[in-house]
Amino acid sequence: MTPARFIGKFFLGLMLFIILFPMFWTLLNAFKENVDILTRTPKLFFTPVVDNILYVLGRASVLEALVNSLIICSVSVMIGILFGLPAAYAVARYPNRWTEEVQFFVLSLRFLPPVAVTIPLMVIWLNLGLYDTRVAMIATYSLLTISITIWLAVPGFQQVPKVIEEAAQVDGYGPYAIFAKIALPIAMKTLLGAVAFSFVLIWNEFLMALMLTTSDAKTLPIVASEMSQLGLDVPWGILNAAVILLSLPPLLLLGLLSGFMNSMFTNKSR
Amino acid sequence: MTRRETLPYVFLVPTILVLMVLAFVPLGYAINISLQDKTLISPNSSYIWFENYIDLLSDRRFKNSLWISLKWELITVTATIIAALGLGVMMYELLTPRQRNFFCLVFLVPVILPRVCAAFVWKFAFHPLYGIVTYPYRLITGDTLDMLADPTMALYAVAFVDVWQWGFFFAVIFLKLLESLPPEPLEAARLDYVKTWQLHAYITLPLLKVPIISLALVKAIESLRSFDLVYIMTRGGPGITTETLDMYAFSQGFIEAGKISYASSMAVIMMVLTVVIFTFIWKKARI
Repeated sequence: MTPARFIGKFFLGLMLFIILFPMFWTLLNAFKENVDILTRTPKLFFTPVVDNILYVLGRASVLEALVNSLIICSVSVMIGILFGLPAAYAVARYPNRWTEEVQFFVLSLRFLPPVAVTIPLMVIWLNLGLYDTRVAMIATYSLLTISITIWLAVPGFQQVPKVIEEAAQVDGYGPYAIFAKIALPIAMKTLLGAVAFSFVLIWNEFLMALMLTTSDAKTLPIVASEMSQLGLDVPWGILNAAVILLSLPPLLLLGLLSGFMNSMFTNKSR
Repeated sequence: MTRRETLPYVFLVPTILVLMVLAFVPLGYAINISLQDKTLISPNSSYIWFENYIDLLSDRRFKNSLWISLKWELITVTATIIAALGLGVMMYELLTPRQRNFFCLVFLVPVILPRVCAAFVWKFAFHPLYGIVTYPYRLITGDTLDMLADPTMALYAVAFVDVWQWGFFFAVIFLKLLESLPPEPLEAARLDYVKTWQLHAYITLPLLKVPIISLALVKAIESLRSFDLVYIMTRGGPGITTETLDMYAFSQGFIEAGKISYASSMAVIMMVLTVVIFTFIWKKARI
């Protein structure tokens, strides 16, 4: 038994390596000059430079895209909260045939291939004169944020003990007050996780932004992907720096997201 | 009493209306455009009805992309589920609760990375001359290995990145599912000296059949979003060996010809296929 356990643990350790090493290597490359990256034998030791990072941060297009990404993400996530949370509460607290259909409808939106929605949206935004604007991107992304918020928040509201809501009702709280003053604060931790997921989804989104923006409303993933087309040679150092910077916000939310995973699974099934 | 009954309507109706507008208007438009001969270059267009669809039937590149997409679905869903079950069971059997927490945290990292970033990280790791993954091969054989330019390997190399992102995430979910099982039948089986693999093959996996099928479905749905990886890593190449449906629709509509109507007819077919197939499977799996 012991050798099997040892091999198993070694294998799991190897998995950690497969996850972390490519990212660690990307981080190293972000601080290398091109001469140190383009070597046949990969270099572990080198003189680090911050030129790549500074170059990426100093570009006007990056700053514009950062502003776009922040505005588009935060507004569409807010819209997702505004429309998604009440709907999720209604689905969680009034389970019947209709709300079940609603839940399936929301899920089925995820079945739609993104290209199938984006091609017609491009024509629509062109006709309305809104193509390549933040407004158009926010409206487009709201479809994603509202549906993912509903989908992830329903279990959060279901975990709120019904007894507490009934006690509040006895104390004279109306149904809307119960939602706002009882259910929301109690479910807050799970809901924050759901919102974080919806933020990461939009922050990372690439295909729709690629088709629906050309210059004014470009988001960060698009600008990062364009770094590979600077000049004749691929500037790998700069590209790696862009990858690191683009990955930072989702990584910062890692703790919140993992807490969400825990609360989703531990309470529900017991 | 009456106020209690208004809440579901007040909370649901506006949201459903917004979602319906945001989803159905584009879909209606997609069908409308697909019946015309719109291009990005000329502003004029006229209805040609089903000509685009008839053309698609004889478009070999379209059939190729259908086949590639199907292969992509099969490879990524199977590999992700196998990885999730295997790693989930291993973590459950071998790790202490504290170690599990650490692994769960690290295993979440790949999936929350932007797909663009994951694609670049691995594209560079697979680089034939300077890549870190191909380095051992170069060292041993003295030859170069260009996986992303090899017609047989390219699709698997891109699929690997997809499984790298999703397999670990699903392993975490599967571990949580294992932890949520009632401990009594497992302890009873252990007392009977049942071997570990038998315990999982005959008790835990059958108990978790329904959630595993749901996980496979979710992965199948998420695998439809292959575009980011393919676009960054291969652009559908070499040739058209990694050209999935969305990549082909994109290149018809945007890169090569700007044939927005033709791309739209493809999108409509894709949409009908996925919605019909997934609705059927989902409803069936839930019963």
